Amino acid sequence: MKRLEHLKCYGYILPGLFFMGIFTFIPVFMSAYLSLFKWNVNYPEPHFTWFSNYVEVFKAPLFWLVLRNNLIYTFTTIPISMSLALFLAILINQKMGWIRSIYRGCLFYPTMIPMVAAAMLWVWIFNPGLGIFNYYLGFLGVPKIEWLYDMRYALIAIIIMSIWKNFGYYMLIFLAGLQGIPNHYYEAAAIEGATGWKQFRYITFPMLAPATLFVFVVAIISSFQVFDQVFVMTQGGPGDRTNVLVFYIYQHAFRFWDLGMGSTLTTLFISGLLVAIWLVFRVLGRRVYYEV
Amino acid sequence: MRKIILLLTVFFFVAGLIGASETWAQKEKVKPKLLRLTFYYPVGVAGPLARVIGEMTDKFNKENEGKIEVVPVYSGDYDPTMQKVQTAIMAGNPPDIFMVEISELPTLLAMDAVLPLDDYIKKMEKGYWEDFFAPFRENATIGGKIYGIPFQRSTPVLYWNKEAFKTAGLDPDKPPKTWDELKDYATKLNIKDKQWGVTISGGWNDWLFEAFVRQNGSYLISADGKTANFDSKEAVEALEFWVELKHRLKVGPPHSTWGSTPPDFVGGRTAMLYHSTGILTFLKRSAKFDFGVAFMPQKKTYGAAVGGANLMIAKKIPKERQEAAWKYIAWMSNVKNVAEWSVASGYVAVRNSAYEDPAMKEHVSKNPEYLVARDQLKYAHGKMMAKNFQKVREILKRQLDDSVAGKIAPAEALKIAHKEIQAVIQ
Amino acid sequence: MKFNWKLRNRLGLHLILMLVSLITVAPYFWILSTSLKFRTDVFTPTPKWIPWPINFQNYLEVFQMAPFHLYLLNTIIVVTGILGVQLVTITLAAYVFSRRNFWGREFFFFLFLIQMMIPIHATFLPNFLTLKKFDLLNTRVAMMLPFFASGYGTFLLRQAFRQIPRSLEDAAVIDGCGGLRFLWHVLIPLARPTLVAFSIISIVSHWNDYLWPLIVTDTPEVRTLTIGLGMFVQQESGADWTLLMAATAFVTAPMLLFFLVLQRKFVESFMLSGMKG
Repeated sequence: MKRLEHLKCYGYILPGLFFMGIFTFIPVFMSAYLSLFKWNVNYPEPHFTWFSNYVEVFKAPLFWLVLRNNLIYTFTTIPISMSLALFLAILINQKMGWIRSIYRGCLFYPTMIPMVAAAMLWVWIFNPGLGIFNYYLGFLGVPKIEWLYDMRYALIAIIIMSIWKNFGYYMLIFLAGLQGIPNHYYEAAAIEGATGWKQFRYITFPMLAPATLFVFVVAIISSFQVFDQVFVMTQGGPGDRTNVLVFYIYQHAFRFWDLGMGSTLTTLFISGLLVAIWLVFRVLGRRVYYEV
Repeated sequence: MRKIILLLTVFFFVAGLIGASETWAQKEKVKPKLLRLTFYYPVGVAGPLARVIGEMTDKFNKENEGKIEVVPVYSGDYDPTMQKVQTAIMAGNPPDIFMVEISELPTLLAMDAVLPLDDYIKKMEKGYWEDFFAPFRENATIGGKIYGIPFQRSTPVLYWNKEAFKTAGLDPDKPPKTWDELKDYATKLNIKDKQWGVTISGGWNDWLFEAFVRQNGSYLISADGKTANFDSKEAVEALEFWVELKHRLKVGPPHSTWGSTPPDFVGGRTAMLYHSTGILTFLKRSAKFDFGVAFMPQKKTYGAAVGGANLMIAKKIPKERQEAAWKYIAWMSNVKNVAEWSVASGYVAVRNSAYEDPAMKEHVSKNPEYLVARDQLKYAHGKMMAKNFQKVREILKRQLDDSVAGKIAPAEALKIAHKEIQAVIQ
Repeated sequence: MKFNWKLRNRLGLHLILMLVSLITVAPYFWILSTSLKFRTDVFTPTPKWIPWPINFQNYLEVFQMAPFHLYLLNTIIVVTGILGVQLVTITLAAYVFSRRNFWGREFFFFLFLIQMMIPIHATFLPNFLTLKKFDLLNTRVAMMLPFFASGYGTFLLRQAFRQIPRSLEDAAVIDGCGGLRFLWHVLIPLARPTLVAFSIISIVSHWNDYLWPLIVTDTPEVRTLTIGLGMFVQQESGADWTLLMAATAFVTAPMLLFFLVLQRKFVESFMLSGMKG
């Protein structure tokens, strides 16, 4: 009878496994396999070519530019969003009655709208001549910047817009974390004479470690998935200064119809993800504090 | 509270069911023996052009009721339309009729996806094919065979803001005629941070660059699409001119998008604009000031590369669908419809005799600007096309963008473009 | 003195929060404002926040430009379809992961966890090729398939199920209610908050999907709201911002309304999503 029980269990996980198998795991192997073929307009049938696709990828300066763009994006949006989110979460967590839900709604709603909608809006906002961004920045003495049309500033524009869109979600996670910190900790600290900054450093911040870690992991993974904004706002330009990895894959697969290269880039992306996952699992074990 | 959620769930679920059953029912309604053709087409959305295509197609469907029904599918701009067409072709389910950007023809041929139309054309009235303007015919022909019928065609033109000219002390009825005059006027018109002298639009800046090269008497890709010619002296001069305008003198924005510059013009942010004749209707409806349309200024000659899209038929569909598709294309390209489309959209009427059409005559007598692009056809050439054209564009645009931002010298940029593009179009 | 200091802090607190809230909300107000203007009124050098004269025509025109009602229906169908199947797969899987000990359980759960970390943005190309082979392109089902399994949902639900004491199940078994019946009658109702939270997150997330639907759909019959909106941007003949903003307002309205009505639940759901990081 035990055998039957086991089989029944497999039955329960079968539906999930089935779809995961086809749409998550098999693609990993498929793209690895296809990355070894030339398959594009010049080669309508896949043509085995060992690792020449990989060589081509690493030789193309554009690839490294794309990586650079992604890294700049990641290492600017994450610290800024997280700090902003944490700061606001602490503020909102203060005693204030019903007005809290208003603030919370105002700060969180950008998460609810589709990224494409936000992107459309910000194209209009960033319009150099007619947009409100330049207009109000003008009052602070900032010269008119061409934003999405300037190679130096396009990526910054995308970063600004992404921060606006995402920080509300992170703020909410931090808020949840903050609300989980028992009040008596703060009371005890106050009695000992520890004020504001000390309280933050020795109580708030350590107790927020799980939330911080979660936000951090989510933020990093989603920062490499940037696509919608780039597609709508800049199409990777100007001069490929906002071309990011997912857009680069899309370009190769669906603009140039180079499925071989697309697969190669996909495989590289997935490999990067898997390495990141491994790192997270290694670190995750140790650094989390749970209140008993 | 719970009730609301429950209600919403039920509502959504029922809506879903209705939607699903509705689409299913639609499929059932197809009468037997009716050929239902799909037609993928690109149009800019600002303007009722999609509606015009719909109305024109409705007329055709009425005339062919019970036998042929053409379903127009608006597929976005040129790039997304090409993507969708190619996806459908790859899935073995091509749209019967489609309009894609003319330079994609070699790629489509490499996929063996387009039907040659010579036999059908032979059966048309005498002079049908020759009635189309010569430069438009160029991009429909490869290897002696005809693959498309011009329909949505254009050339770039120069738009100028007459009010801005007056303010700058220039004669509002005299647009610049040469590159030197252009530089001169742009410098006079440029008001730092408020108004650019001249905007050479980004987005399809590769198309505009080709026009400049033509104005300098050269070309970028050979007519057979196999030989690149990007590092010629004339091309370098053209790019150097761009760099001077956009980077040294700063009388024009180095980068922009195709869709951002028309509103810039209307909003008074740029006094002159290089853009397609296709936006003329939009400008007329939106601009509160008087503006003019002119040939692009010449260097050695006036010059332009034509643009736009042709009507094409998918190769791998059954013969009877091909015939039906041709019926539609023949109808859409008859003189009356060509005139109607041109009047409604602002695109150049693709046939000579369309300009004799009474509706067209009335339209141009009231709005002579619509004739400028047609007149410029005298100096226009076919647009460059080659296999892997998307990659070609990408390479060229990147070098143009980098050059105009001052990151690389024009000669070097074009040398790189030449090398990379040659490798890709073999 | 102490009183003043507290008051000053309070004021500063609210000032900051109000300022940030203003900055966050202003853009949306700008959408609404632009959408109600006449086409030529947007070209003013100083921004006009209050549209006057008001033009409701834009919203009508949006529907004439493209079948947004159809897009809305498609989006609802896709989102409901995804959620429906997800609830089934995650519930079954979470049940055995939390309450049964079978050979390979840790391994298979690990697989479910990994699924969370490999998003569609990484697998879209091979998945596209798969769907092409099975002739499923340009269908609503195509937009749903890759999301039917949810490692995230399984993980969340397993957490929730684990909270329910074993003794409860033992008692139920004695009373003749075991296996699936226990799952249906006891576990699911008790885990309802988690299920609601997950449902909300799934709905919002897939309502806003873009890359995947972009790749697998071609025609308006199956097009969703986000794709329809995206198409407005790609144009040849000049942007009409009033129309664009009207379309944007329409596309964002459902989720925002949903959010306003169920604000507490939404916030709780998203907060819960990060609880057990």
